[in-house]
Amino acid sequence: MEQTGRPTSRMGRAALAGKGAAGMTAASDAASRAGRAALAALLALACVLAVSLAVPPTSALAMSTNKATARPNEDGGNGVIGGEDTRLTWEGTVGGSEEVTSITLTLPGDASFDGSTTRITVLDGLSRTSISGEATAAGASIRVSFDDPIPADSLVRLEITNMRFPTAGGDYQVTGAYTTSAGGTADLDAAPAISIIANTPLQAAVNWLDQQEWVAAWNSVPFLGMFLKPQLLLTSFASLFPGWLVCLGIVLACYPFAIVLGLSFAMLKVSRRKALRAVAICYINILRGTPLFLQIYIMFFGLPMVGINIDNNVLGVIVMAVNSSAYLAEIFRAGIQSIPQGQYEAAASLGMNGFQTMTSIILPQTVRRVIPTVTSDFITSYKDTSLLSSVGVMELMMFSKNLTTTTGNITPYMAAAIYYLIVTLPLIKIVGIIESNIARSERGGGPRPRRRAGDAASQGSSEPERAPASSAGIPRAEAAKGAPATGVLAALSAPFVTHPTVELGGVADGE
Amino acid sequence: MKNSMSRRQFILAAGAVAGSAVLAGCGGSASPSSGAADTGGSGASSSAKGSPDDAYTLVTDGTITCIAEMGFMPFEYLDGDTPKGFDIDLMAAVAEHMGLTSAWLPSQAFDTLVPTIKQGGKADVACSGITINDDRLESVDFSDPYMDSNQALVVKSDSTETEAALNDASKTVACQAGTTGDDWISENLPNAQKVSLQDVAAAMAGVQTGLYDAFVIDLPVASNLISQSYSDLKVAEEIPTGEQYGIAVSKDNPALTAAINKALADMRSDGTMDQLKQTWFGGMI
Repeated sequence: MEQTGRPTSRMGRAALAGKGAAGMTAASDAASRAGRAALAALLALACVLAVSLAVPPTSALAMSTNKATARPNEDGGNGVIGGEDTRLTWEGTVGGSEEVTSITLTLPGDASFDGSTTRITVLDGLSRTSISGEATAAGASIRVSFDDPIPADSLVRLEITNMRFPTAGGDYQVTGAYTTSAGGTADLDAAPAISIIANTPLQAAVNWLDQQEWVAAWNSVPFLGMFLKPQLLLTSFASLFPGWLVCLGIVLACYPFAIVLGLSFAMLKVSRRKALRAVAICYINILRGTPLFLQIYIMFFGLPMVGINIDNNVLGVIVMAVNSSAYLAEIFRAGIQSIPQGQYEAAASLGMNGFQTMTSIILPQTVRRVIPTVTSDFITSYKDTSLLSSVGVMELMMFSKNLTTTTGNITPYMAAAIYYLIVTLPLIKIVGIIESNIARSERGGGPRPRRRAGDAASQGSSEPERAPASSAGIPRAEAAKGAPATGVLAALSAPFVTHPTVELGGVADGE
Repeated sequence: MKNSMSRRQFILAAGAVAGSAVLAGCGGSASPSSGAADTGGSGASSSAKGSPDDAYTLVTDGTITCIAEMGFMPFEYLDGDTPKGFDIDLMAAVAEHMGLTSAWLPSQAFDTLVPTIKQGGKADVACSGITINDDRLESVDFSDPYMDSNQALVVKSDSTETEAALNDASKTVACQAGTTGDDWISENLPNAQKVSLQDVAAAMAGVQTGLYDAFVIDLPVASNLISQSYSDLKVAEEIPTGEQYGIAVSKDNPALTAAINKALADMRSDGTMDQLKQTWFGGMI
């Protein structure tokens, strides 16, 4: 994605290569004779021609450049930021009739190899040849001389850690030269350009944190540095955000389906027909009796095997919906069965049929009773989306896992925990409020004709009132105008407080 | 209105209290950390009685406690619940040369191995086909390399994917989280969608079913798995990385690293190492 702006035509790349090579050679040979400089220029020209004509540029007798890549150093991203420590990997193959004794790599601009460490890997085919060497950095170029000459046809990889690309973004090519054991020097083919991005505000903030003394002190405590490193917390929040959206998206998309499915199976389970009940019992028990993790594996690896290929996120929604529906079916079933028999009898005495009884008498009462349990199930489902990371859905856990992997620090997981808690804590609080409201209404503490608005509102927010008459009812609507927080609560508990609870007198007569 | 104001004030006050607590925490952080280092030091001398000349510390006296991710056949795998594999035998031999025994903790995710060793207290070494690289060297010390390895690009047998073709936004390439294959994808296939998975089996199964287009993993493991159980997969490309495996040891325990290096050198000279490689890899390496 960040590779835009890379020169697309081979001609363009070759032209760049030529320019870089010529500049480099001129610089390194500045002190030598003019004749040599001219020769070098000729060589550079030849190189340009070779690159532009031969595709790919393979000349059997000279060292060829295979690739040059940079390790992404954007915290939580995959871009390569200039002016920040990263690792350059350069790979080339020694020509057929030469032995290489040293390689010089050069980058343009204010790139720097100072303070870098170089790892040399020499391979003959797949087997490693043990050759060590010494790297000498000088600003934007680094010279690696080998203790033993690298034999012909060997692959050489130089991994230069803690080097920096130019601060300004853009496409940069690694150029360079090599010397052979015969004493000759030749330019290297330029490698494909590496895209570098300029610094991001986030990275700037991280750099600022890096310099703070209190951050250093904080990080020097092993626990704090490992679990709550401020720099990483900041970048984690930024890079985990898409994963959080995926989590929320999955659970919000799956829940309506889960509710519909769950309700249908609940109706089947309370049905009078044995066959329907059997279907519902099978569905619910199998899904509740197996781990979600296993269901995910079956769906994600099983369906493609029978030729059904669904997008990972959609499949995630399906698995979560199906799993959740089984739990919801049980919740709804329990809710329906908790409605006293008298309600059915009363409905029958009004001449209602089964369908009417269910839709206008039983279900409305069920809904308010199951809301706390359904919300708890929602919380569980939301947390369980984390299991989808095991099959490659790019959700919160996946992002934090990747980040922990690259940083070797637990902080991304802590950031993920915060992202989970942002959603679950308010929901848990709401469940508590709704539960206490239901408990109050069930024991006959429901709404009563109000006395005075201010009086009732102040008592509504105090501890649960024993005196039913003073409990907050209609006045909540007025309180809502003034205080948004109370307004939300009032709106959420509206289904409970506005319902007359007279008919529950029989149930709550223990009070 | 009045209600909400007081609530807001409460939150502000709570924030201020929490903030000052945090600041107080950092101010004092220097001394507890040095205290912790001191206690660590005293623990070191007490548990080092097993070997009088080397002052290395072990979690359990007389035993090297090792950790690994046990899904990396033939380096380490579980046969029932018994760890088996090259690394297991290697550590047993290393421990024997040091006059100790080796014990393995339950398998844990690969990307947690280096942090666990860095944190210390749970295991002495991680030996799980861990490539020595500069990133890991920042967290832990490594023994001398005991094995060379390369990476492999695993695809379906009938697939025509190549490294160049895979570097595309429409391609999904799997890896085991925290491995060098993971790194390799980030750097060499920046356009592909990378999926980091916890275990190798999930990735292999994913390639089999077409969920992922390719899987990057250490070549010896790929060859072994394909010959053993995944006959419908193949190694599309051998990626010559020439990486080297080492045994990860905590930086606080340099004497243990030295002792392990000595044991490895002894094993090389007395033929134990060759014998181990012959047992596990035969003519393969």
